[in-house]
This record gives sequence, C-alpha cells and structure tokens, in this order.
Amino acid sequence: MFEVIMYDGGVYRSAELFELIEDVGGAVLQKIRSSQMLTVTMSIPSEDKESVVALCKDIGGEVKEVPLAGTEIAVVGPTLGRHHMPHPICDIAEALRRKGALSIVMGLARGRGKGTSQISGSEVAIINEYDAAIFCFGNFKSCVEAKAELMKDIKIPLILVCGPRPEGLEDYCEGIVPGVGRKSERMRSPEERDKLDEIVSMTETVLKDKRKRMSEDPLFVHPSEVKQVLENYPPIDMCLRPSPIVLHLDGLRAKIPYDENIKAVSDIMIYDRRLGDIAKITESKLDRSSMLIKIKTGSEVDYDDARKSAGKA
Amino acid sequence: MDITVHGTDPFGNEAYRVLFENIMNDLGEALAIEKAELVLRPETPLFIFSVRLRAEPVSKTIADVSSLREEGSGVHITITDERYAPEILGAMWSMYGRNSVDQQTRFDMSVANADLEAVSKTVIASGEEALKEIIGSVWRSMPEGIKVRHVFITGTVVTVVATEEIMKPEFMKEGAKVHVAMGGSADV
Repeated sequence: MFEVIMYDGGVYRSAELFELIEDVGGAVLQKIRSSQMLTVTMSIPSEDKESVVALCKDIGGEVKEVPLAGTEIAVVGPTLGRHHMPHPICDIAEALRRKGALSIVMGLARGRGKGTSQISGSEVAIINEYDAAIFCFGNFKSCVEAKAELMKDIKIPLILVCGPRPEGLEDYCEGIVPGVGRKSERMRSPEERDKLDEIVSMTETVLKDKRKRMSEDPLFVHPSEVKQVLENYPPIDMCLRPSPIVLHLDGLRAKIPYDENIKAVSDIMIYDRRLGDIAKITESKLDRSSMLIKIKTGSEVDYDDARKSAGKA
Repeated sequence: MDITVHGTDPFGNEAYRVLFENIMNDLGEALAIEKAELVLRPETPLFIFSVRLRAEPVSKTIADVSSLREEGSGVHITITDERYAPEILGAMWSMYGRNSVDQQTRFDMSVANADLEAVSKTVIASGEEALKEIIGSVWRSMPEGIKVRHVFITGTVVTVVATEEIMKPEFMKEGAKVHVAMGGSADV
C-alpha cells in the first residue's frame, strides 16, 4: 500500500531524496520550489516510509502528514464579490492546501440573493470535474435553506459550510459545517481555526468514503502511475503552468490543450495498453487548454476487452 | 459606536452586528457614526440599516483641516487632519503647479506665489462626498443579493431600506418609522 507524505525543508541534498523515492518505487506528486525552500508531496510504499522519513530528517527537513494529497477540491461561493471573498472562502481553500489538497476558489455568476440565486449548467459541469466541492453560504437560516437548489445537480461529494445549521438539507450534501457564514476578516481566532480544522476533517471523511467506494471496483491503473508516464510527454514536460498535472482520486487533469494533444495522449502506452483504451479522455469544461483523464475501473476494462473479442466494439 | 440589532435569526443578528462594526472600522466610518440600528428580516426579505452621524457632513475647506500662515510670497500649510492630506496636495498642484509646491513632511508643505485667502477657501471635500461614502459603506455591509434599495436622509440620520426584488410600500413605511425613531424627520 502507498502512503502520501510531504517533505518541507531546504533544497540542500534534495537530489538524494528524489533518488530514494525512485529507488523505493514511489512517485513525486508535487514539487514546489521557492528560492532555497522545497516542498515535495510524494507517494511511497508503506514499508519504505521509515527510511524516507529518516532521510528527510537527515537532510534537515520536516515530514508532514497530508491526508488530502492527490485530490483537487473546489471551494464555491455565491459570487466573487467582496461580500463573499476573500473570507472565509480563501481561508478554507488555504486550510485544504495545508493538508495536501489542490484547492481552487470559484464564484458563481448569479449565486447571490435568496429568491434570485441561480447556477448554470456549465457551472455545474465545471464543479463536477473536481473530487469534492465545498459550498459556502451566509448567516441566515432561511437564506441557506433557499439556496439548497444550487447544490441539487452536483454529483460529486459536497460539504456545506454556513452560519446557522439549516434543516432538511441532509440529502443535498455529504456533510454540513455550521458556525462560519459571511466574514469580513481573516479566520484567525482559536475558535475559527478549530472551525477550519473541522471543515478539513469532514472533507477527509467524505473523501475516505469515496475512496472506500472506489476500492470495491479499483481503477485499472493508479493515477500516479499515469502521471509518471505523462511527465515524459514533451508538451507536459515543457508546460509552464503551475502543477501541469493534477491528480484526482479517479484520474488526473493535464494542463495541455485538448485539440492538439488528444491523439498523442491517447496513444501513450501504459502496461502494454493505449491510454485511450483504459481511460476516458475529455476536454475540461473549465478551459480549452486542459484535458481530463478519467481512468476506467478494472471491470470496465474487462468489459471493453470482452466486447472487443466478441467483435462488438 | 452603539449598534442595536432587531432580527428574526439569532445567528444572523450577532453575525451582522460584528460584520457591521468591522466594515465600518475598515472603511474609516466608525468614528463618524454615533448610533446604528439594524433591522434584519431575511425571510421577507427586508433589511433596514439606519445610522445617526455625530455631525452633519459639510463641505471642508483647507482652512478647516489645516493651519495656514504666510511665508514670504507664498503660503505654508500644516495639515491637522491627515485624512485630507492627499486632497490638499492635489488641490495645490492643480492650482499652482507641481514646481511651486514643496512638501517637506507628510503634514507640511510650502506653496510658492500662493494667495493665503484663495488657499484657505479652497474646498477639498464636499459634504455630499462624505455622505456618499457613508451610504456606500452601509450598502457594503448589507447582504449582496439585496440590491433594491431606498435611502432616507435627514440631517445626521441616514436610513437605507433594502429588499431583493420589489420594494413594497409597507417596507418604505417601516423604513421611515426606523428613520424617525433614530431622529430623522417624517417627511422624507
């Protein structure tokens, strides 16, 4: 079994760390270098964790647990206006990042108001691309309950963060964290930090459930293995966007244009199979310059194989 | 600043008291406000935010916010109210040109070939502008979706009545009642 940990330290002797990760058969999920400081999120076999942690400490770094690593989470507010941004939405996104998730902040175009709030089909499609979403609503119970409509078409695990605890919304989301609401300043008091921890731990629980469900019919190949192969694909290797490949629980997002790369990416071989055969590759709804790779489960691949051999595909 | 909140949602009442106080402090309006009354009825939805100012906003001249003295053929200005420093500097630049203005410190400047009387009578902030800023900050503290608003102004009392879609006559009546209770006149 693989475990995800984060090295936080300097670049000094970091080459030794990368070499060890490779030797034990692990993978670097994310590497962020800022001046002489380095943060490496890595996936390593459990049995080798001890030796990797020992090396991290030996080279002067710190090892942190990152339970949300390998996930991309959307934090959604009713709008991008100053009433809802930057607090508390950006505070929540930051708390998720500290636990290893790649979080994005999103505001709806017409999410404001109690009776007039709306969500469009394209907004729903964009949110559904992520592993989980956190919706942040305001301070009034009646308003939060009226805005439940915004969440009804979301198919991914959803957590609602709001002021007072609403009633009757249990079917719309996987979890509710009350006691936050609209804020005009940073969440820095001990009570507010505890609330952020509560949101993070609820996200962990919700994603753990999703992982458990997925383990009943595991993916044909782990997304980090596809990532390792894709990293050698020249357009990704040369991509200057931050995190050119983002891991999801059931696949990954590659930040390269779909139209120009779909054929080449589909033809990449993994375990003697074309990537296009073991994954559904689609254009991201977020922008035209990224693609989504959803890896098929083992049973889906077997089914496709059976259809092929029967001459139906 | 004394804030009273009347509302139907206990969580929202406390949250909006804190929000209103923080936003007014952030925008530098807290000192100008003596008392505020907030009526929050999200289920209607109806929001009435009424504020009573410490003094009626009036136009400010340079003489009101600084001390002036003649210095040779020019004028020396010592700013006493920091808030107006950028406006005073801007006014002097436009009246006498940048080359004539020598700003020694943040609060002191000498203006060459300037007339003391003309400088002292120069208006650097209108009362209307100050009022507009107060109304803007009240709007900012209201929920974002509450866009249909009506403002009552009498002397030092400013009341904003707001709802989401249709401003009904009974909302206006209720707003006027709060406005009068805060010291405003009934014929607004």
